[in-house]
Amino acid sequence: MIQFLIAPDFPPQYFAGWHLLNTRLQRKTNAAIHLQTPASPQEEQALIASGTVDIIYANPFDAAQLVRDMGYLPLVRPVNKPDEMVIATAASQPLQTLEDIKPDMRVLHTENRDVKLIGLRLLEAVDLNEGNLQWVEADAFQAVARHLIDGDAEVGFFLASAYQGLSSLTLNQLRTLMESKITDISHVLLLHPRHSAQQEKLRSAFLEMGNDAAGQMVLEDLGLPEGFETLTQEDAEFMIDLMETLLD
Amino acid sequence: MRLPQMPVPELPHRQHELQFYEGFTQTVYTTDEEKQFPDGRLIVSSTDTKGIITHANDAFVIMSGWEREELMGSLHSILRHPDMPKAAFKDLWDTVSTGTKWHGYVKNLRKNGGFYWVYATVVPNIRDGEIQGYTSVRRKPSRSKVAELGALYEQMLAAERSAS
Repeated sequence: MIQFLIAPDFPPQYFAGWHLLNTRLQRKTNAAIHLQTPASPQEEQALIASGTVDIIYANPFDAAQLVRDMGYLPLVRPVNKPDEMVIATAASQPLQTLEDIKPDMRVLHTENRDVKLIGLRLLEAVDLNEGNLQWVEADAFQAVARHLIDGDAEVGFFLASAYQGLSSLTLNQLRTLMESKITDISHVLLLHPRHSAQQEKLRSAFLEMGNDAAGQMVLEDLGLPEGFETLTQEDAEFMIDLMETLLD
Repeated sequence: MRLPQMPVPELPHRQHELQFYEGFTQTVYTTDEEKQFPDGRLIVSSTDTKGIITHANDAFVIMSGWEREELMGSLHSILRHPDMPKAAFKDLWDTVSTGTKWHGYVKNLRKNGGFYWVYATVVPNIRDGEIQGYTSVRRKPSRSKVAELGALYEQMLAAERSAS
C-alpha cells in the first residue's frame, strides 16, 4: 500500500477533493494508495520521520528537508498556483498599511512555517521582527480570522489560498494590509526514493489528471484548475535555494 | 567582456568612469531618482560562477530598467552603482565562493541612471557537491537600515578613494 500524505495547510473545503483525486490516481496507476491527511505539522513531521510516506504534497519549507536530506524525488507541481501569504487586520481596526503595524502588537498565526517566514520577511521593511512583536498561535487560518474579528490581536498571517477561501461574510470583516507576490515558490509533489522506478508513471498520472471532464472537475474542486506541470530536480533545487535566502 | 552601454539620462545626471571587478572600465551615469521596491515582491536572479546572468524574474527586469534580452548573458555587475564601495562586493564574492550565504544592503543602478535599495541574500547553487552558480534574492529593505548603510558606504567609499 502506497502512502500519500497531503500537507495540512489546505482549506477544509478541499478535503473531499483530495480523496477524489486519490481515487483517480489509483485508477490511473492501478495501485492501492492510502491518503494521509495529518491535522498538524507535528503529525506530518512524525509521519515523515517514520519513513512510511511514499508520495507527499509538501509545502516549500518542508521540501528542502525532503529533497536535500532524505533524497525525495520531484514529480510535479501545480500550474500557476504559487504559495503566497496575506497580512490582514480586522476591518474595525485603524491599521491601513504595513507602516501602521507597531512593535508589541499581537500577530495571529498558525503553525505553518512558510507563511510565518514570508510574513516576517515582509515586515522587515517596516523594522518589525520576531522579537519585537507578540505572537499568538491559532490552530487554523479560520481561527486566525475569527480571533482577528474578535479583537484578540491586531494582525493576522494567512496562506493566501486559505484567506481567499474564507466566506464573504468573514472577508468583509477583514482588511488586507499586504499580499505577497513572490510567484517562485509553491507546494510540490515528491516521491520517496525507494519508488524511483515508479517516478515517470506517477508523474504521468498527475500530468494527465485533467485530461477528461471528471478529472478536470476534481482539479477545479481542489483550486488547481490548470492541473500539474513537471517538476525537475533543478526546479526543486532552485526553489529550495530561494527558500534558503528567506530563512534569515 | 563589457556591459551594454547605458543611455545618457534625460534627467540631470553625473558621469562616472567605473572600474569593474572583472577588469574593465566603463562609463555609467547616475541621477537622484529613486525607484521604490515593489511591495510584497522579491527580486530574483541567478548567475553562473563567473557572474553572468542566467535567470531573471519579472521584478528584476522591471526594477533594473533593462530589457530581459539585455540582461540575460550580461554580467550581474550591470547593476553596480558607483556609490557602492568595492569592499562590499569583495566581501560578497569572498563569502559565496566558499559555499556560504551572504547578506547585505545594496544600492543598485538602473538603466536610466536611477537607483533602488535592496536587502540582498546570495546563496551558492550547490549541485552534486559543487558550486554551479549563485542565486540572489532581494527584498524590500527598511528605510532606517538604508540610512545607516548609506552613511557607512559613503565613509568606505571615501576611504577607498583616498587610498587609491
